[in-house]
Amino acid sequence: MSRSIRTAVLIVAGIIWLLPVYLLVINAAKSPADFTSKEAWLPNGFALFENMSDALSLSGLGDAVFSTLIYSVVSPIIAVLVGAAAGFAIVALRLKHGFAWFVVIFGGTVFPLQMVLIPLFDGYSRVGLFDTRLGMVLVYTAISVPFSAFVMRNFFSGIAHNVFEAAVVDGASTLRIFLRVYIPMAMSALVAIFILQATFVWNDLLLGLTLSQSDDVRPIVTTLSGMQSTYGGAQLSTVLAAGILVSLPTVVLFLFTQKFFAKGLALGQY
Amino acid sequence: MSRRRDSTSYQWSARGFIAPGVILVAVLLYAPLLWTTYLSFTEYNGLGDPDWVGLANYGAMFADPEFFGSLGNTLLWVAGTLIVPVGLGLGLALLTFDLKGGIWLRLPFLIPYAISGIGVGLIWSFILQSDGALDQALALVGVVDPPRWLLDAPLNTVVMILASSWQGVGVNALLFTIGLQSIPKEPLEAARLDGARGARLFGSILWPMLRPLTAVVIGLSIVASLKTFDIVQGMTKGGPGRASETLALTMYKDTFVNSDYGLGSAIAVFLTIVTLVASVLYLRQQLSKKNEI
Repeated sequence: MSRSIRTAVLIVAGIIWLLPVYLLVINAAKSPADFTSKEAWLPNGFALFENMSDALSLSGLGDAVFSTLIYSVVSPIIAVLVGAAAGFAIVALRLKHGFAWFVVIFGGTVFPLQMVLIPLFDGYSRVGLFDTRLGMVLVYTAISVPFSAFVMRNFFSGIAHNVFEAAVVDGASTLRIFLRVYIPMAMSALVAIFILQATFVWNDLLLGLTLSQSDDVRPIVTTLSGMQSTYGGAQLSTVLAAGILVSLPTVVLFLFTQKFFAKGLALGQY
Repeated sequence: MSRRRDSTSYQWSARGFIAPGVILVAVLLYAPLLWTTYLSFTEYNGLGDPDWVGLANYGAMFADPEFFGSLGNTLLWVAGTLIVPVGLGLGLALLTFDLKGGIWLRLPFLIPYAISGIGVGLIWSFILQSDGALDQALALVGVVDPPRWLLDAPLNTVVMILASSWQGVGVNALLFTIGLQSIPKEPLEAARLDGARGARLFGSILWPMLRPLTAVVIGLSIVASLKTFDIVQGMTKGGPGRASETLALTMYKDTFVNSDYGLGSAIAVFLTIVTLVASVLYLRQQLSKKNEI
């Protein structure tokens, strides 16, 4: 196929692909008073921001935004550091049986999440972590660590061991070498992992549904799911506006960091 | 500074560096994993102590016709997400390959990927509901009695698979593009000079070189589709009745809605075994194919 035909096919397909997004936006922008599901394809007014602010105040979405920001920033940062520390121990410090320990950490990704839901719910209720932000941060961190350790071990394997030896000769402690030499060198990998894990945490439904209850602890996607099932006393256009609000941060983050993201994904595959 | 010396002199420090990762994973992932396995052999409603009942939960699971409905839907998800998003993703990668502005042409397909499963469910429920956007569009072209997209099984599972494909195509295309870009230029140029175009170029050069990556994409897609939860929860909640449940949803409902922790655990264990078997099968296949090349 010639290049121009290919381009034309792609443009048409791309437009078709974005039709659902078009429908979402125009219907989320209809004011609840004018909203009728009969004319789904025609735009009618622009009350998007009013609908968004209604969504924020009506269904506890505003409280959820703050918690979710904490989860999707704090957990991936801790996980990235913990994973990097594990990679550093195995590669630079040459931990004995390092590969076996790596398998122990990485094995955490092999099982479906369903295997940990009941004990976490049960255990969290017993120790007072159920429906707390600390509990959510802990579980999101634990889930993000294996992937982070995987990428960081690969990354550090590419750094010559002389780098470590030279720092030792300069008299630096291992902690100092880790923080001042290895972490700065690994910034691009760390950012890639952070973006992937932050997106995952932001979009999580299952853990939020299981381990939290109140408006100010529930992650945003879980709150949206609740709004959708009952319409939470809100109109459909308000729920659609909430859908945009919830999706916007990851879409923006993703588009701005497409290259990083692609690299991170490529790293994750092999 | 000899190698032998480093490998012994930093052992305590190394243990300190790896400890946080091991402890987090052990406490929050492995201990729960073992506990769920234990619970699958007990009768437990979340209160008091679990009572050992041996294989009774597994017996109940296999005796339940709903379980087989759910298993069937899960298998449909596996098959559907193998064919549609992987196939379309490959097609898209091939169309954009070597094209000026390919990165921009791929963008519309990547946007849905960043939307959460619940967000995707929300958009598509709006489109597919009775008299929704799709039915209105069909009415314009004269279809007066459209199918009940979300209300009849197995049609509801099929349309949800298509909704999930809408989300997944872009990222598969991205992975295949990375694969295509890593193909060495010389054999490609040589084949083109020999007059290979289109299907022949694809069959003789591109496809064989993409095969290892294809195995990875397929493997990931199988494992992810076995765990399908968000989109179904967002679009039908497994309904009507339990007609569109997947195993992940059945597990969730039996546990947290019906408080039957033992049965929920048994389903989780079953799901895990299937996932592990699928992973091993695809890894073995991938490894044997690598050996061939």
